[in-house]
Amino acid sequence: MVKILEIVFNGLSMGAIYALLALGFVLIFKSTGIINFAQGELAMVGAFICYNFATLMGVPYLVAFFITLILAAILGGIVNVVFFRRMVGEQMFSTIMVTVGLASILTCIAGLIWGHDVYAIHSPFTNKTATIGGIVLSQGSLYTIGISIVLLVLFALFFNRSLLGIAMKGTAEDSDTSGLMGINVKRIHMVAWAIGALVAAVAGIFLAEQSFVRLVMSHTGIKAMAAAILGGMESIGGAILGGVIVGLVEGFAANYLSGMEIGGFHFGDIKDVAAFAIMIIVLMIRPHGIFGKQKVERV
Amino acid sequence: MSGKFKISYRKDMALFQTLWAKVWLGVFVCCMIVAPFFMTRYQLSILNEMGIATIGALGLNLLTGYTGQISLGHGAFLAIGAYTTGLLTGKLGIPFLLSLPLSGLMAATLGMIVGIPSLRLKGLYLALGTLAFGFIVEYIIFHWDLTQGDMGMAVKRIGIGGFTIKTQQHYFYLIMSFAAIATICAKNLVRTKIGRNFIAIRDRDTAAEAMGIRLAKYKVMAFAVSSFYAGVAGCLMAHYQKWIVPGSFDISLSIAYIAMIILGGLGSILGSIMGAILITGIPHFIIYLTDFFKESYPALSGVIVDFKLGIFGLIIVVTLLFEPQGLFGIYRRAKVYWKTWPFKY
Repeated sequence: MVKILEIVFNGLSMGAIYALLALGFVLIFKSTGIINFAQGELAMVGAFICYNFATLMGVPYLVAFFITLILAAILGGIVNVVFFRRMVGEQMFSTIMVTVGLASILTCIAGLIWGHDVYAIHSPFTNKTATIGGIVLSQGSLYTIGISIVLLVLFALFFNRSLLGIAMKGTAEDSDTSGLMGINVKRIHMVAWAIGALVAAVAGIFLAEQSFVRLVMSHTGIKAMAAAILGGMESIGGAILGGVIVGLVEGFAANYLSGMEIGGFHFGDIKDVAAFAIMIIVLMIRPHGIFGKQKVERV
Repeated sequence: MSGKFKISYRKDMALFQTLWAKVWLGVFVCCMIVAPFFMTRYQLSILNEMGIATIGALGLNLLTGYTGQISLGHGAFLAIGAYTTGLLTGKLGIPFLLSLPLSGLMAATLGMIVGIPSLRLKGLYLALGTLAFGFIVEYIIFHWDLTQGDMGMAVKRIGIGGFTIKTQQHYFYLIMSFAAIATICAKNLVRTKIGRNFIAIRDRDTAAEAMGIRLAKYKVMAFAVSSFYAGVAGCLMAHYQKWIVPGSFDISLSIAYIAMIILGGLGSILGSIMGAILITGIPHFIIYLTDFFKESYPALSGVIVDFKLGIFGLIIVVTLLFEPQGLFGIYRRAKVYWKTWPFKY
């Protein structure tokens, strides 16, 4: 029982990270209509920036955290201006491929700056644990879950209550009409990219907290995309639920399936593909995700 | 457009539109036949890689450029072809001439399985599905005793009859003849009913269905043909490299193939070939450049490995932003410009 609770807890903390990344996807998708395959790479760059300040330059952790947030938002803005300003309204294929290209460019640049080694961020929560009801929990995971919940609630409020959030929803619906209604569409896209990159950076820093800072951590982005798809790209609630599902399934698969062997096939590291397996199954049954709506197409 | 007027359907559908096309093709084939006698082994090895890449790129272009189905898992189909032939020739002792079509068929079967969900999935969802398929294939190859995981697997030399393919020259003739067959097949496929159906599905699949094209049949067929090409390319690659590891079939290979067809031009056979040649050539060109600058900047050589994927990404982005039709578009525009010169139209 205690073991299961621990698995659930760890799964939840991974799920919170996936939910944050998935939130970034949904945010950018909802306001610009672009599916950002480079979300994981943005998270990776965020984690490296934080590592650069917190560990290499010895800046206090919290300060480094906030510097990273600002730099990540600026990076998102730059990406928008350089790559996507002229891509709005293009075919799905072109936009997807531009983000795939952006992903390799970001990986290349990060590899050139920081190298291919594995690093760790020194944070106040490293190796500290808390005990709740006999279960030993790491403080980093607790903070991850806590801050993620706060952020997710903030975003839900932002989209449903604030004028800017509603404007963003409108832009996603129909950018031409919303432009006619007096919404500054360019600014909305800019804000969406900045916030998307910022959320990705937060997720990247939390991810580094749980494991390490390295180039391949960008693969988490694709798993998070699986989470976003699970929930249906359109809804924030769906993204959160998808993230939690992926995190939990990974946790259970890692604990109960790893080490199994059938006919010369080893199930080690099943964690890495569990998310994709679920995603394919869900897509086969419900092609538009759990909360997604079927779109009516006109010829 | 000036120049040629076509007065019959036969002429419009002809494989070679003009006499000049035939002449230039003949000159090109003659050059290719005598080329191995004048080239070094290194230069030949580059050409061989380009030939293999051409086959794979043609396959991906049939699927993505002609039928409009995004595939981010093309590398996985190459892996399937490579490992199938490795196992068939290595463990079962099947001759190469039989294992080549078999590895293509194996890839095509799995391609059809991936293609079936494509009936319901579009755009983004298909991209993710194929991406996930790529990761799962890589995972299976890593963790299966049969494929020997990350140790990699040795692949036998090609033996045709009593003759064994050994030198780069032998490989050159073998690979180029397969590349030529692949090109002819693709070129012919796209001007038949099947090819026109593919294009109709790409342009608007709902409308195509309303016109009476059976979407299910043709989408799955596009996946099958495309992965057959990839399987054949993977098979040739395995025999050519003689050693295959799962790491060489990862997402970066799929991205390299996408870069090929985007740079060359989506929905064009000539474009696939140009893209394959350029994208395969770029890493060698970078290596050449670094060799050149190594004396003055020794630190440069370590950095270069990182550049490859980044440059492919940059090529994809820049092509899509500024020249969405790729090199083929530039070629066509240049041709029209010179044909009508000095007039504008």
